[in-house]
Amino acid sequence: MNDRLKQLYKTVILKHNKAPFHYEKKEAATHQLEAYNPLCGDRFKLFLEVKEGIIESIHFHGYGCAISKASTSVLAKNLEGKTMKQALALCGEFQQVVSPDVTAKNELEEFEAFAAAKDFPGRLTCATLSWEAVQSFLVDKE
Amino acid sequence: MFGTPTFRQQFPIFQHHPTLVYLDSAATTQKPQVVIDGITNFYQKENANIHRGIYDLAAKATQKYESVRQKVADFIGAKNRSEIVYTSGTTAAINLVAHSFLLPRLEQGDEVLVSAMEHHANLLPWQMACKAKGANLRIIPIDKAGNLDIVAYQTILSAKTKMVAIVHISNTLATINPIAEMIELAHQKNIPILVDGAQSTAHYPIDVTTLDCDFFTFSGHKLFGPTGIGVLYGKAAHLEAISPYQFGGDMIRTVTYQDATFAPAPQKFEAGTTNIAGVIGLGYAIDFINQFDKKAIATYVKELGNYAREKLLMINDLEIIGNAQNKTGIVSFILKNAHPHDVATFLGEANIAIRAGHHCTQPLMDFYGIPATCRASFSIYNNRAEIDFLVAEVKGIQAFFG
Repeated sequence: MNDRLKQLYKTVILKHNKAPFHYEKKEAATHQLEAYNPLCGDRFKLFLEVKEGIIESIHFHGYGCAISKASTSVLAKNLEGKTMKQALALCGEFQQVVSPDVTAKNELEEFEAFAAAKDFPGRLTCATLSWEAVQSFLVDKE
Repeated sequence: MFGTPTFRQQFPIFQHHPTLVYLDSAATTQKPQVVIDGITNFYQKENANIHRGIYDLAAKATQKYESVRQKVADFIGAKNRSEIVYTSGTTAAINLVAHSFLLPRLEQGDEVLVSAMEHHANLLPWQMACKAKGANLRIIPIDKAGNLDIVAYQTILSAKTKMVAIVHISNTLATINPIAEMIELAHQKNIPILVDGAQSTAHYPIDVTTLDCDFFTFSGHKLFGPTGIGVLYGKAAHLEAISPYQFGGDMIRTVTYQDATFAPAPQKFEAGTTNIAGVIGLGYAIDFINQFDKKAIATYVKELGNYAREKLLMINDLEIIGNAQNKTGIVSFILKNAHPHDVATFLGEANIAIRAGHHCTQPLMDFYGIPATCRASFSIYNNRAEIDFLVAEVKGIQAFFG
Protein backbone atom coordinates (compact mmCIF):
# COMPACT_ATOMS: atom_id res chain seq x y z
CA MET A 1 0.00 0.00 0.00
CA ASN A 2 1.56 3.26 -1.11
CA ASP A 3 1.59 6.64 0.65
CA ARG A 4 -1.09 8.14 -1.53
CA LEU A 5 -3.49 5.38 -0.54
CA LYS A 6 -2.50 5.76 3.10
CA GLN A 7 -3.41 9.44 2.84
CA LEU A 8 -6.76 8.68 1.24
CA TYR A 9 -7.72 5.80 3.50
CA LYS A 10 -6.83 7.45 6.79
CA THR A 11 -7.74 5.76 10.06
CA VAL A 12 -10.50 8.30 10.63
CA ILE A 13 -12.13 7.35 7.33
CA LEU A 14 -11.76 3.62 7.85
CA LYS A 15 -13.25 3.93 11.33
CA HIS A 16 -16.28 5.80 10.06
CA ASN A 17 -16.64 3.30 7.22
CA LYS A 18 -16.64 0.32 9.57
CA ALA A 19 -18.80 1.84 12.27
CA PRO A 20 -20.73 4.70 10.74
CA PHE A 21 -22.49 7.25 12.94
CA HIS A 22 -26.27 6.83 13.23
CA TYR A 23 -26.37 4.27 10.43
CA GLU A 24 -30.05 3.39 10.47
CA LYS A 25 -33.31 4.26 8.75
CA LYS A 26 -35.55 6.78 10.51
CA GLU A 27 -38.60 6.83 8.31
CA ALA A 28 -40.43 9.12 10.76
CA ALA A 29 -37.84 11.91 10.44
CA THR A 30 -39.15 15.33 9.38
CA HIS A 31 -37.02 15.33 6.23
CA GLN A 32 -35.66 12.62 3.97
CA LEU A 33 -32.98 13.41 1.41
CA GLU A 34 -31.37 11.27 -1.22
CA ALA A 35 -27.69 11.48 -2.07
CA TYR A 36 -27.27 9.63 -5.34
CA ASN A 37 -24.49 9.40 -7.87
CA PRO A 38 -25.87 7.87 -11.06
CA LEU A 39 -22.37 7.38 -12.46
CA CYS A 40 -21.26 4.96 -9.76
CA GLY A 41 -24.53 3.91 -8.17
CA ASP A 42 -23.72 5.15 -4.65
CA ARG A 43 -26.98 5.98 -2.96
CA PHE A 44 -27.68 7.10 0.60
CA LYS A 45 -30.90 8.11 2.26
CA LEU A 46 -30.46 10.81 4.87
CA PHE A 47 -33.04 11.26 7.63
CA LEU A 48 -33.01 14.72 9.17
CA GLU A 49 -35.04 15.62 12.21
CA VAL A 50 -35.41 19.38 12.00
CA LYS A 51 -37.24 21.33 14.72
CA GLU A 52 -37.48 25.10 14.93
CA GLY A 53 -34.52 25.60 12.64
CA ILE A 54 -32.29 23.16 14.47
CA ILE A 55 -31.13 19.84 13.06
CA GLU A 56 -31.80 17.66 16.05
CA SER A 57 -30.60 14.43 14.54
CA ILE A 58 -29.25 12.95 11.32
CA HIS A 59 -29.40 9.26 10.45
CA PHE A 60 -28.48 7.64 7.19
CA HIS A 61 -28.64 4.38 5.33
CA GLY A 62 -27.67 3.08 1.92
CA TYR A 63 -24.80 1.88 -0.16
CA GLY A 64 -21.54 3.49 -1.07
CA CYS A 65 -17.79 3.18 -1.05
CA ALA A 66 -15.61 3.69 2.02
CA ILE A 67 -15.06 7.35 1.16
CA SER A 68 -18.69 8.26 0.57
CA LYS A 69 -19.90 6.28 3.56
CA ALA A 70 -17.33 7.78 5.91
CA SER A 71 -18.01 11.24 4.58
CA THR A 72 -21.75 10.84 5.20
CA SER A 73 -21.02 9.54 8.67
CA VAL A 74 -18.81 12.56 9.43
CA LEU A 75 -21.57 14.79 8.06
CA ALA A 76 -24.21 13.24 10.33
CA LYS A 77 -21.99 13.46 13.36
CA ASN A 78 -20.96 17.07 12.79
CA LEU A 79 -24.22 18.62 11.65
CA GLU A 80 -26.33 17.24 14.47
CA GLY A 81 -27.46 19.87 16.92
CA LYS A 82 -26.54 22.71 14.55
CA THR A 83 -28.82 25.41 13.29
CA MET A 84 -29.54 25.36 9.58
CA LYS A 85 -27.25 28.34 9.16
CA GLN A 86 -24.38 26.73 11.05
CA ALA A 87 -24.91 23.53 9.08
CA LEU A 88 -24.75 25.41 5.79
CA ALA A 89 -21.50 27.04 6.87
CA LEU A 90 -20.06 23.61 7.72
CA CYS A 91 -21.08 22.31 4.29
CA GLY A 92 -19.08 25.15 2.78
CA GLU A 93 -16.15 24.34 5.04
CA PHE A 94 -16.14 20.70 4.01
CA GLN A 95 -16.25 21.63 0.33
CA GLN A 96 -13.17 23.79 0.94
CA VAL A 97 -11.29 20.82 2.37
CA VAL A 98 -11.66 18.82 -0.84
CA SER A 99 -11.42 21.77 -3.22
CA PRO A 100 -8.30 21.44 -5.38
CA ASP A 101 -7.89 25.25 -5.28
CA VAL A 102 -7.68 25.48 -1.51
CA THR A 103 -4.49 24.66 0.35
CA ALA A 104 -5.43 25.85 3.87
CA LYS A 105 -5.99 23.06 6.37
CA ASN A 106 -9.13 22.54 8.37
CA GLU A 107 -8.78 22.26 12.15
CA LEU A 108 -11.31 19.51 12.36
CA GLU A 109 -9.47 16.19 11.92
CA GLU A 110 -12.61 14.50 10.66
CA PHE A 111 -12.86 17.07 7.87
CA GLU A 112 -9.18 17.31 7.04
CA ALA A 113 -9.03 13.51 6.67
CA PHE A 114 -10.73 13.91 3.29
CA ALA A 115 -8.17 16.36 1.89
CA ALA A 116 -6.31 13.58 0.07
CA ALA A 117 -9.34 13.07 -2.18
CA LYS A 118 -7.92 16.06 -4.09
CA ASP A 119 -5.22 13.73 -5.44
CA PHE A 120 -7.84 11.30 -6.73
CA PRO A 121 -10.04 13.26 -9.14
CA GLY A 122 -12.16 10.16 -9.76
CA ARG A 123 -13.01 9.98 -6.07
CA LEU A 124 -13.78 13.61 -5.25
CA THR A 125 -17.50 13.12 -5.81
CA CYS A 126 -17.44 10.26 -3.30
CA ALA A 127 -16.33 12.68 -0.60
CA THR A 128 -18.84 15.38 -1.50
CA LEU A 129 -21.90 13.28 -2.42
CA SER A 130 -23.95 13.63 0.78
CA TRP A 131 -22.62 17.09 1.57
CA GLU A 132 -23.97 18.40 -1.71
CA ALA A 133 -27.37 16.82 -1.08
CA VAL A 134 -27.60 18.43 2.37
CA GLN A 135 -26.26 21.72 1.09
CA SER A 136 -28.88 22.04 -1.62
CA PHE A 137 -31.58 21.11 0.91
CA LEU A 138 -30.37 23.84 3.28
CA VAL A 139 -30.13 26.40 0.50
CA ASP A 140 -33.72 25.60 -0.52
CA LYS A 141 -34.87 26.03 3.06
CA GLU A 142 -33.18 29.38 3.48
CA MET B 1 2.09 -15.58 -29.23
CA PHE B 2 -0.83 -13.47 -27.90
CA GLY B 3 0.06 -11.65 -24.71
CA THR B 4 3.83 -12.04 -25.10
CA PRO B 5 6.15 -9.03 -24.75
CA THR B 6 6.81 -9.14 -28.51
CA PHE B 7 3.12 -9.19 -29.29
CA ARG B 8 2.44 -6.32 -26.91
CA GLN B 9 5.01 -4.19 -28.74
CA GLN B 10 2.41 -3.66 -31.44
CA PHE B 11 0.44 -1.56 -28.94
CA PRO B 12 2.39 1.64 -28.20
CA ILE B 13 0.41 2.34 -25.01
CA PHE B 14 2.45 -0.38 -23.32
CA GLN B 15 5.72 1.29 -24.31
CA HIS B 16 4.51 4.55 -22.80
CA HIS B 17 3.17 2.79 -19.70
CA PRO B 18 5.48 -0.19 -19.24
CA THR B 19 3.88 -1.34 -15.98
CA LEU B 20 0.29 -0.85 -17.10
CA VAL B 21 -1.94 -3.87 -16.60
CA TYR B 22 -4.86 -3.02 -18.83
CA LEU B 23 -7.91 -5.10 -17.93
CA ASP B 24 -10.62 -2.88 -19.34
CA SER B 25 -10.93 -3.98 -22.94
CA ALA B 26 -14.69 -4.45 -22.64
CA ALA B 27 -14.83 -0.65 -22.24
CA THR B 28 -12.40 0.01 -25.07
CA THR B 29 -9.46 -1.86 -26.53
CA GLN B 30 -5.96 -0.43 -26.90
CA LYS B 31 -4.89 0.52 -30.43
CA PRO B 32 -2.13 -1.14 -32.41
CA GLN B 33 0.50 1.04 -34.09
CA VAL B 34 -0.82 0.11 -37.55
CA VAL B 35 -4.21 1.66 -36.76
CA ILE B 36 -2.68 4.83 -35.32
CA ASP B 37 -0.30 5.11 -38.29
CA GLY B 38 -3.12 4.47 -40.73
CA ILE B 39 -5.17 7.35 -39.35
CA THR B 40 -2.16 9.67 -39.15
CA ASN B 41 -1.15 8.75 -42.67
CA PHE B 42 -4.63 9.49 -43.95
CA TYR B 43 -4.66 12.95 -42.40
CA GLN B 44 -1.09 13.67 -43.48
CA LYS B 45 -1.19 12.39 -47.03
CA GLU B 46 -4.66 11.44 -48.16
CA ASN B 47 -7.16 13.79 -46.52
CA ALA B 48 -10.10 15.05 -48.59
CA ASN B 49 -13.84 14.90 -48.29
CA ILE B 50 -15.49 11.96 -49.98
CA HIS B 51 -18.08 11.40 -52.70
CA ARG B 52 -18.36 14.84 -54.26
CA GLY B 53 -14.82 15.67 -55.21
CA ILE B 54 -13.59 15.34 -58.78
CA TYR B 55 -9.92 15.87 -58.00
CA ASP B 56 -7.56 13.00 -57.39
CA LEU B 57 -7.27 13.24 -53.58
CA ALA B 58 -11.04 13.21 -53.17
CA ALA B 59 -11.42 10.29 -55.52
CA LYS B 60 -8.79 8.32 -53.64
CA ALA B 61 -10.34 9.14 -50.24
CA THR B 62 -13.71 7.99 -51.54
CA GLN B 63 -12.21 4.82 -52.92
CA LYS B 64 -10.54 4.03 -49.61
CA TYR B 65 -13.65 4.84 -47.59
CA GLU B 66 -15.77 2.56 -49.76
CA SER B 67 -13.18 -0.21 -49.84
CA VAL B 68 -13.42 -0.40 -46.05
CA ARG B 69 -17.15 -1.03 -46.49
CA GLN B 70 -16.30 -4.15 -48.47
CA LYS B 71 -13.76 -5.10 -45.82
CA VAL B 72 -16.41 -4.79 -43.09
CA ALA B 73 -18.87 -6.82 -45.16
CA ASP B 74 -16.30 -9.61 -45.57
CA PHE B 75 -15.33 -9.37 -41.89
CA ILE B 76 -18.85 -10.11 -40.65
CA GLY B 77 -19.99 -12.22 -43.58
CA ALA B 78 -22.46 -9.80 -45.15
CA LYS B 79 -23.54 -10.67 -48.69
CA ASN B 80 -23.22 -7.16 -50.01
CA ARG B 81 -21.33 -4.06 -48.97
CA SER B 82 -24.49 -1.99 -49.38
CA GLU B 83 -25.74 -3.72 -46.23
CA ILE B 84 -23.04 -1.98 -44.22
CA VAL B 85 -23.98 1.42 -42.76
CA TYR B 86 -21.36 3.48 -40.96
CA THR B 87 -22.56 4.99 -37.70
CA SER B 88 -20.84 6.65 -34.77
CA GLY B 89 -21.03 3.41 -32.81
CA THR B 90 -23.26 0.64 -31.54
CA THR B 91 -25.51 3.07 -29.68
CA ALA B 92 -26.21 5.14 -32.79
CA ALA B 93 -26.80 1.99 -34.84
CA ILE B 94 -29.40 0.65 -32.42
CA ASN B 95 -31.08 4.05 -32.18
CA LEU B 96 -31.30 4.13 -35.97
CA VAL B 97 -33.09 0.77 -36.08
CA ALA B 98 -35.40 1.62 -33.17
CA HIS B 99 -36.31 4.96 -34.68
CA SER B 100 -36.47 4.29 -38.40
CA PHE B 101 -37.29 0.59 -38.61
CA LEU B 102 -39.36 -0.21 -35.53
CA LEU B 103 -41.18 2.97 -34.61
CA PRO B 104 -43.26 3.32 -37.81
CA ARG B 105 -44.23 -0.37 -37.57
CA LEU B 106 -45.06 -0.40 -33.88
CA GLU B 107 -48.61 -0.09 -32.59
CA GLN B 108 -50.31 0.04 -29.24
CA GLY B 109 -50.33 -3.35 -27.55
CA ASP B 110 -47.42 -4.68 -29.62
CA GLU B 111 -44.43 -6.17 -27.86
CA VAL B 112 -40.67 -5.75 -28.13
CA LEU B 113 -38.32 -8.28 -26.52
CA VAL B 114 -34.96 -7.64 -24.96
CA SER B 115 -33.07 -9.69 -22.37
CA ALA B 116 -32.49 -8.94 -18.69
CA MET B 117 -28.78 -8.46 -19.37
CA GLU B 118 -28.91 -5.67 -21.93
CA HIS B 119 -26.54 -2.71 -21.87
CA HIS B 120 -28.51 0.54 -21.63
CA ALA B 121 -27.69 1.06 -25.33
CA ASN B 122 -29.82 -1.94 -26.25
CA LEU B 123 -32.56 -1.15 -23.75
CA LEU B 124 -33.37 2.55 -23.79
CA PRO B 125 -33.98 2.97 -27.55
CA TRP B 126 -36.59 0.18 -27.39
CA GLN B 127 -37.99 1.50 -24.13
CA MET B 128 -38.49 4.91 -25.74
CA ALA B 129 -40.11 3.42 -28.86
CA CYS B 130 -42.51 1.36 -26.74
CA LYS B 131 -43.43 4.36 -24.62
CA ALA B 132 -44.08 6.46 -27.69
CA LYS B 133 -46.52 3.93 -29.13
CA GLY B 134 -48.05 2.35 -26.02
CA ALA B 135 -46.31 -0.94 -26.78
CA ASN B 136 -44.90 -3.28 -24.15
CA LEU B 137 -41.24 -4.02 -23.59
CA ARG B 138 -40.92 -7.63 -22.48
CA ILE B 139 -37.82 -8.88 -20.72
CA ILE B 140 -36.38 -12.32 -21.47
CA PRO B 141 -35.39 -13.60 -18.04
CA ILE B 142 -32.03 -14.99 -16.96
CA ASP B 143 -31.13 -17.32 -14.11
CA LYS B 144 -28.85 -16.33 -11.23
CA ALA B 145 -25.83 -17.76 -13.03
CA GLY B 146 -26.51 -15.43 -15.94
CA ASN B 147 -27.83 -17.94 -18.48
CA LEU B 148 -30.61 -16.65 -20.68
CA ASP B 149 -33.85 -18.60 -20.22
CA ILE B 150 -34.40 -19.89 -23.74
CA VAL B 151 -37.60 -21.70 -22.78
CA ALA B 152 -39.11 -18.51 -21.41
CA TYR B 153 -37.99 -16.73 -24.57
CA GLN B 154 -39.96 -19.21 -26.69
CA THR B 155 -43.00 -18.62 -24.51
CA ILE B 156 -42.81 -14.83 -24.70
CA LEU B 157 -42.36 -14.77 -28.50
CA SER B 158 -45.83 -14.28 -29.91
CA ALA B 159 -47.89 -12.76 -32.67
CA LYS B 160 -47.69 -9.50 -30.74
CA THR B 161 -43.87 -9.42 -30.89
CA LYS B 162 -42.67 -6.85 -33.41
CA MET B 163 -38.93 -6.97 -32.66
CA VAL B 164 -36.32 -8.85 -30.68
CA ALA B 165 -33.08 -7.16 -29.66
CA ILE B 166 -30.45 -9.25 -27.94
CA VAL B 167 -26.91 -8.72 -26.77
CA HIS B 168 -24.50 -11.31 -28.19
CA ILE B 169 -22.11 -11.17 -25.23
CA SER B 170 -22.99 -9.50 -21.94
CA ASN B 171 -20.51 -6.77 -21.02
CA THR B 172 -21.22 -7.37 -17.33
CA LEU B 173 -21.81 -11.11 -17.01
CA ALA B 174 -19.62 -12.41 -19.86
CA THR B 175 -22.52 -14.63 -20.97
CA ILE B 176 -22.41 -15.66 -24.62
CA ASN B 177 -26.02 -15.89 -25.69
CA PRO B 178 -27.30 -18.63 -28.02
CA ILE B 179 -28.04 -16.12 -30.78
CA ALA B 180 -28.26 -18.63 -33.64
CA GLU B 181 -31.04 -20.46 -31.83
CA MET B 182 -32.72 -17.21 -30.83
CA ILE B 183 -32.67 -15.90 -34.39
CA GLU B 184 -34.18 -19.12 -35.68
CA LEU B 185 -36.94 -19.04 -33.08
CA ALA B 186 -37.77 -15.42 -33.89
CA HIS B 187 -37.86 -16.15 -37.61
CA GLN B 188 -40.21 -19.08 -37.15
CA LYS B 189 -42.71 -16.38 -36.21
CA ASN B 190 -41.44 -13.88 -38.80
CA ILE B 191 -40.10 -11.55 -36.14
CA PRO B 192 -37.06 -9.42 -37.00
CA ILE B 193 -34.11 -9.60 -34.61
CA LEU B 194 -31.18 -7.30 -33.89
CA VAL B 195 -27.96 -8.60 -32.38
CA ASP B 196 -25.79 -6.20 -30.38
CA GLY B 197 -22.28 -7.39 -31.16
CA ALA B 198 -20.36 -4.69 -29.29
CA GLN B 199 -18.58 -7.24 -27.09
CA SER B 200 -18.33 -10.10 -29.55
CA THR B 201 -17.06 -8.72 -32.85
CA ALA B 202 -13.41 -8.31 -31.81
CA HIS B 203 -12.94 -11.78 -30.42
CA TYR B 204 -15.48 -14.09 -32.05
CA PRO B 205 -16.08 -15.19 -35.63
CA ILE B 206 -19.20 -13.45 -36.91
CA ASP B 207 -21.15 -14.48 -40.01
CA VAL B 208 -24.35 -12.50 -40.32
CA THR B 209 -25.45 -14.42 -43.41
CA THR B 210 -25.24 -17.79 -41.69
CA LEU B 211 -26.76 -16.35 -38.52
CA ASP B 212 -29.47 -14.78 -40.68
CA CYS B 213 -30.02 -11.94 -38.18
CA ASP B 214 -31.88 -8.90 -39.51
CA PHE B 215 -29.55 -6.37 -37.92
CA PHE B 216 -26.12 -6.58 -36.34
CA THR B 217 -24.27 -3.73 -34.66
CA PHE B 218 -20.76 -3.12 -33.36
CA SER B 219 -18.29 -0.37 -32.47
CA GLY B 220 -14.84 0.18 -33.93
CA HIS B 221 -13.17 1.15 -30.68
CA LYS B 222 -13.88 -2.22 -29.10
CA LEU B 223 -12.01 -3.98 -31.89
CA PHE B 224 -8.70 -2.10 -31.79
CA GLY B 225 -10.04 0.72 -33.96
CA PRO B 226 -10.78 4.38 -33.25
CA THR B 227 -13.70 5.77 -31.25
CA GLY B 228 -16.63 7.43 -32.98
CA ILE B 229 -17.06 4.82 -35.68
CA GLY B 230 -19.41 1.87 -35.67
CA VAL B 231 -21.38 -0.30 -38.01
CA LEU B 232 -24.97 -1.19 -38.59
CA TYR B 233 -25.45 -4.28 -40.70
CA GLY B 234 -28.99 -4.62 -42.01
CA LYS B 235 -30.46 -7.04 -44.50
CA ALA B 236 -30.76 -5.31 -47.86
CA ALA B 237 -34.56 -5.57 -47.91
CA HIS B 238 -34.83 -3.85 -44.52
CA LEU B 239 -32.41 -1.07 -45.34
CA GLU B 240 -34.23 -0.41 -48.59
CA ALA B 241 -37.60 -0.26 -46.85
CA ILE B 242 -36.77 2.05 -43.98
CA SER B 243 -36.58 5.83 -43.98
CA PRO B 244 -33.43 7.82 -43.31
CA TYR B 245 -32.70 8.67 -39.69
CA GLN B 246 -30.93 11.96 -40.22
CA PHE B 247 -31.24 14.35 -43.12
CA GLY B 248 -28.73 16.58 -44.87
CA GLY B 249 -25.94 16.47 -47.37
CA ASP B 250 -24.66 13.39 -49.18
CA MET B 251 -27.78 11.29 -48.62
CA ILE B 252 -30.07 12.61 -51.35
CA ARG B 253 -31.02 11.96 -54.95
CA THR B 254 -32.92 15.14 -55.73
CA VAL B 255 -33.81 18.15 -53.64
CA THR B 256 -36.20 21.06 -54.19
CA TYR B 257 -37.21 23.67 -51.63
CA GLN B 258 -40.30 21.66 -50.77
CA ASP B 259 -39.31 18.06 -51.33
CA ALA B 260 -36.50 15.52 -51.56
CA THR B 261 -35.82 11.99 -52.67
CA PHE B 262 -33.07 9.96 -51.13
CA ALA B 263 -30.08 7.96 -52.20
CA PRO B 264 -30.27 4.18 -51.86
CA ALA B 265 -28.88 2.42 -48.76
CA PRO B 266 -26.38 2.74 -47.26
CA GLN B 267 -25.84 6.37 -48.41
CA LYS B 268 -29.26 7.50 -47.23
CA PHE B 269 -28.21 6.69 -43.66
CA GLU B 270 -24.94 8.61 -43.84
CA ALA B 271 -25.98 12.25 -43.84
CA GLY B 272 -23.33 14.92 -43.66
CA THR B 273 -19.60 14.41 -43.64
CA THR B 274 -19.10 11.17 -41.77
CA ASN B 275 -16.17 10.09 -39.64
CA ILE B 276 -13.95 9.42 -42.65
CA ALA B 277 -10.72 8.96 -40.71
CA GLY B 278 -12.64 6.71 -38.33
CA VAL B 279 -13.68 4.52 -41.24
CA ILE B 280 -10.10 4.41 -42.48
CA GLY B 281 -8.94 3.47 -38.96
CA LEU B 282 -11.60 0.77 -38.76
CA GLY B 283 -10.26 -0.69 -41.99
CA TYR B 284 -6.77 -0.96 -40.51
CA ALA B 285 -8.20 -2.48 -37.31
CA ILE B 286 -9.93 -5.17 -39.36
CA ASP B 287 -6.69 -5.83 -41.27
CA PHE B 288 -4.97 -6.17 -37.92
CA ILE B 289 -7.49 -8.74 -36.65
CA ASN B 290 -7.49 -10.59 -39.97
CA GLN B 291 -3.83 -11.51 -39.45
CA PHE B 292 -5.00 -13.94 -36.80
CA ASP B 293 -7.33 -16.89 -36.67
CA LYS B 294 -10.43 -15.55 -34.95
CA LYS B 295 -11.12 -18.90 -33.35
CA ALA B 296 -7.68 -18.72 -31.77
CA ILE B 297 -8.47 -15.22 -30.46
CA ALA B 298 -11.75 -16.46 -28.97
CA THR B 299 -10.06 -19.41 -27.30
CA TYR B 300 -7.25 -17.28 -25.91
CA VAL B 301 -9.58 -14.69 -24.42
CA LYS B 302 -11.92 -17.35 -23.01
CA GLU B 303 -9.02 -19.15 -21.38
CA LEU B 304 -7.76 -15.95 -19.76
CA GLY B 305 -11.24 -15.48 -18.34
CA ASN B 306 -11.35 -19.03 -17.00
CA TYR B 307 -7.91 -18.66 -15.46
CA ALA B 308 -8.89 -15.40 -13.77
CA ARG B 309 -12.08 -16.94 -12.41
CA GLU B 310 -10.24 -19.92 -11.03
CA LYS B 311 -7.62 -17.76 -9.28
CA LEU B 312 -10.00 -15.08 -8.02
CA LEU B 313 -12.31 -17.67 -6.49
CA MET B 314 -9.48 -18.75 -4.18
CA ILE B 315 -9.88 -15.42 -2.39
CA ASN B 316 -12.14 -15.51 0.65
CA ASP B 317 -15.38 -13.57 0.52
CA LEU B 318 -15.06 -12.87 -3.18
CA GLU B 319 -18.09 -13.55 -5.32
CA ILE B 320 -18.16 -13.70 -9.10
CA ILE B 321 -21.26 -12.27 -10.73
CA GLY B 322 -21.98 -14.04 -14.01
CA ASN B 323 -21.30 -17.76 -14.11
CA ALA B 324 -23.09 -18.79 -17.26
CA GLN B 325 -22.13 -22.03 -18.96
CA ASN B 326 -20.92 -20.30 -22.09
CA LYS B 327 -18.91 -17.18 -21.32
CA THR B 328 -16.03 -15.03 -22.48
CA GLY B 329 -13.02 -13.27 -20.95
CA ILE B 330 -14.90 -10.85 -18.74
CA VAL B 331 -15.02 -11.30 -14.97
CA SER B 332 -17.30 -9.28 -12.71
CA PHE B 333 -16.67 -9.71 -9.01
CA ILE B 334 -17.49 -8.20 -5.65
CA LEU B 335 -15.67 -8.36 -2.33
CA LYS B 336 -17.63 -8.71 0.87
CA ASN B 337 -16.05 -5.82 2.72
CA ALA B 338 -14.74 -3.50 0.01
CA HIS B 339 -16.80 -1.41 -2.36
CA PRO B 340 -15.89 -1.75 -6.06
CA HIS B 341 -14.72 1.87 -6.20
CA ASP B 342 -12.35 1.40 -3.32
CA VAL B 343 -11.06 -1.74 -5.01
CA ALA B 344 -10.61 0.12 -8.31
CA THR B 345 -8.74 2.94 -6.55
CA PHE B 346 -6.36 0.49 -4.89
CA LEU B 347 -5.82 -1.39 -8.16
CA GLY B 348 -5.34 1.91 -9.98
CA GLU B 349 -2.47 2.71 -7.64
CA ALA B 350 -0.92 -0.62 -8.62
CA ASN B 351 -1.37 0.44 -12.26
CA ILE B 352 -4.06 -2.14 -12.87
CA ALA B 353 -6.93 -0.73 -14.93
CA ILE B 354 -10.27 -2.33 -14.18
CA ARG B 355 -13.76 -0.85 -14.23
CA ALA B 356 -16.02 -0.42 -11.21
CA GLY B 357 -19.66 0.49 -11.38
CA HIS B 358 -22.90 -0.68 -12.90
CA HIS B 359 -21.39 -1.01 -16.41
CA CYS B 360 -24.46 0.65 -17.96
CA THR B 361 -26.58 -2.31 -16.88
CA GLN B 362 -28.50 -0.87 -13.93
CA PRO B 363 -31.56 -3.16 -14.17
CA LEU B 364 -29.19 -6.13 -14.18
CA MET B 365 -27.51 -4.84 -11.02
CA ASP B 366 -30.98 -4.55 -9.44
CA PHE B 367 -31.64 -8.18 -10.43
CA TYR B 368 -28.58 -9.24 -8.46
CA GLY B 369 -29.38 -6.80 -5.66
CA ILE B 370 -26.02 -5.07 -5.94
CA PRO B 371 -25.21 -1.49 -6.97
CA ALA B 372 -21.90 -2.18 -8.64
CA THR B 373 -19.21 -4.73 -9.45
CA CYS B 374 -15.51 -4.72 -10.25
CA ARG B 375 -14.97 -5.88 -13.80
CA ALA B 376 -11.78 -7.19 -15.34
CA SER B 377 -11.96 -7.83 -19.08
CA PHE B 378 -9.31 -9.37 -21.25
CA SER B 379 -8.01 -9.15 -24.76
CA ILE B 380 -5.19 -10.56 -26.87
CA TYR B 381 -2.48 -8.37 -25.31
CA ASN B 382 -3.19 -9.69 -21.80
CA ASN B 383 -1.48 -12.68 -20.20
CA ARG B 384 -1.60 -14.91 -17.15
CA ALA B 385 1.13 -13.01 -15.31
CA GLU B 386 -1.10 -9.94 -15.33
CA ILE B 387 -3.94 -11.97 -13.86
CA ASP B 388 -1.63 -13.33 -11.15
CA PHE B 389 -0.70 -9.74 -10.28
CA LEU B 390 -4.37 -8.73 -10.20
CA VAL B 391 -5.20 -11.62 -7.88
CA ALA B 392 -2.32 -10.81 -5.52
CA GLU B 393 -3.43 -7.17 -5.31
CA VAL B 394 -7.07 -8.10 -4.73
CA LYS B 395 -5.94 -10.38 -1.90
CA GLY B 396 -4.14 -7.45 -0.32
CA ILE B 397 -7.21 -5.23 -0.66
CA GLN B 398 -9.41 -7.89 0.90
CA ALA B 399 -7.01 -8.11 3.83
CA PHE B 400 -6.92 -4.32 4.22
CA PHE B 401 -10.67 -3.89 4.40
CA GLY B 402 -10.95 -7.17 6.33
